[in-house]
Amino acid sequence: MEYAYVNARIRAMKSRLLGRPFLEQLINKPDVDSIIADLERTTYREELERAGVQFSGINRIEVAIRNDLVRAFRAILGFIKGGEEENLLTLILQRWDVQNIKTILRGKKIHAPASEILDCLIPAGELGEAALTELVKQPDVKAIIDLLATWGVPYARPLTRNFKEYSETRDMLVLEYAIDTFYFEHALSILKSRDTEDNRIIREMLVTEIDINNLRTVFRVIRDRMDREEAKKFFMKGSSELDTETLYSMVKTGTLEGALKLLEPTSYRFLSAIPQEYVTAEKISAFEKELDRHLVRKGISQFLGDPLSIAIPIGYIWAKYAEVTNIRIIARCKQSGVPDKELREALINV
Amino acid sequence: MEQINPTRMELIRKNAQIKLAEQGRDLLRQKMDALIQEFFHIMESVSQSRDELERRADVAQHSLLIALAVDDPVTLKSASFATRRGVTLEIKGKNIMGVPVPIIEKKRFVKGLLERGYSILGVSGRIDEAAENFEAELDLIISLAETETSLRRIGSEIQMTRRRVNALEQVLIPELKRQAKYIEITIDEREREDLYRLKKVKKIIERKKKTQSPQL
Repeated sequence: MEYAYVNARIRAMKSRLLGRPFLEQLINKPDVDSIIADLERTTYREELERAGVQFSGINRIEVAIRNDLVRAFRAILGFIKGGEEENLLTLILQRWDVQNIKTILRGKKIHAPASEILDCLIPAGELGEAALTELVKQPDVKAIIDLLATWGVPYARPLTRNFKEYSETRDMLVLEYAIDTFYFEHALSILKSRDTEDNRIIREMLVTEIDINNLRTVFRVIRDRMDREEAKKFFMKGSSELDTETLYSMVKTGTLEGALKLLEPTSYRFLSAIPQEYVTAEKISAFEKELDRHLVRKGISQFLGDPLSIAIPIGYIWAKYAEVTNIRIIARCKQSGVPDKELREALINV
Repeated sequence: MEQINPTRMELIRKNAQIKLAEQGRDLLRQKMDALIQEFFHIMESVSQSRDELERRADVAQHSLLIALAVDDPVTLKSASFATRRGVTLEIKGKNIMGVPVPIIEKKRFVKGLLERGYSILGVSGRIDEAAENFEAELDLIISLAETETSLRRIGSEIQMTRRRVNALEQVLIPELKRQAKYIEITIDEREREDLYRLKKVKKIIERKKKTQSPQL
């Protein structure tokens, strides 16, 4: 595949991303309608017009930015179609497949109407809208897993392995945990097979995500005073900086302060800057916000990497994700009358 | 008044009725005092719980807003599929001074990390916090439902008792007393008439005796 061509197109797409001044302009708008008016002057115009047929207000914005995100990711996949790079990028986008499969399984378990389940799907991954609709049409959890297996979707494997336990306990946690861990294990095992620069970039991003997921688990386990031994099984392997033992030691401290102290020698020492009041109140969302910002910043910083590598598409994916999240935060906060100061704090500042 | 028999038996009956009505009024007053005491006791806890509920609802709404803004409403709805289930509560009853009030089973709805039905790896802590805040709000709403229903029932019982006391005090007892008074007056009047008649007869007899005796 010609990286020079693909990355030039992606850089062109990046140039159309909304910068900080535009977000500031949106923050200064008095209501959702004026935010829509401003967004209609950007690349979101087409999706806003399409969403405007069915939705209005905040829903119109949310549907439009969600569809725009899906369209952008599909466009990138279209640029690199056919090569090894497509498989690598698909690994990143498969997180949406995991999320969609989990949503369908959850919906089927409670017999939610198909239309309600379909409304909650984001076809940004490998499974397109048609495939997801077909999955939603299945009568039950077993049929969904069978269909995934028939299509050769790798996520059918952990689901099939754990279905027996699920059918005995009727606990969706069994299947969800299996598919969540499989996503990272499967991706890392594929990346291990070849030692290229592209593989290294994707692996680095995935390992960061594993670390962040593990840290979130540690903080939540400490806050909920969960059984330490039980917590161990929720730690995902794959990171050398924060291995299972380190994570277990953090849990063993029993306090967030203790856990943060153990993070001092790692690259996650920035968490120590979280105000003490949040630490004392065990406000996990404050920790998550910092971790999310770290991940997004790391993703976007890939733009600074090798211009003839997968770093550019990866950087764009994260930049687009951050932009969409920031627009949603601004629109939601404006609709609910959240003060600007609080709104700015909620943003994924990049 | 015309229908009352102004007899001594009737007077005794009326006096007995007055005594009974006064006893009833005193008992109802005592019941009302006890109910008012209970009412204020519950009201204190209700107003505390209401304040707490308002605070909790604000926190829950705020956490929901943040979760919706950062995590996308579809992710939130997807997580809600995992946790969607009915709430069953056992409701028993007890009596406070004869007023039936409900006792709603104290079930804790705040769930643990693994009890919400979704994997913690795929759902953010923001959604967890929103869920936890709404679960805590549900706990408060249910406990408030019990105390508010008790308060409403005791309140209406106090009103009813007060109406009964007023009816006894303002209508029945004064009416009975008036009737007893009427009977007393009528009996006295009759006694006086009888006495006068007897005296008159006595005078006539004496006069007759006097007119007959000189002839003898």
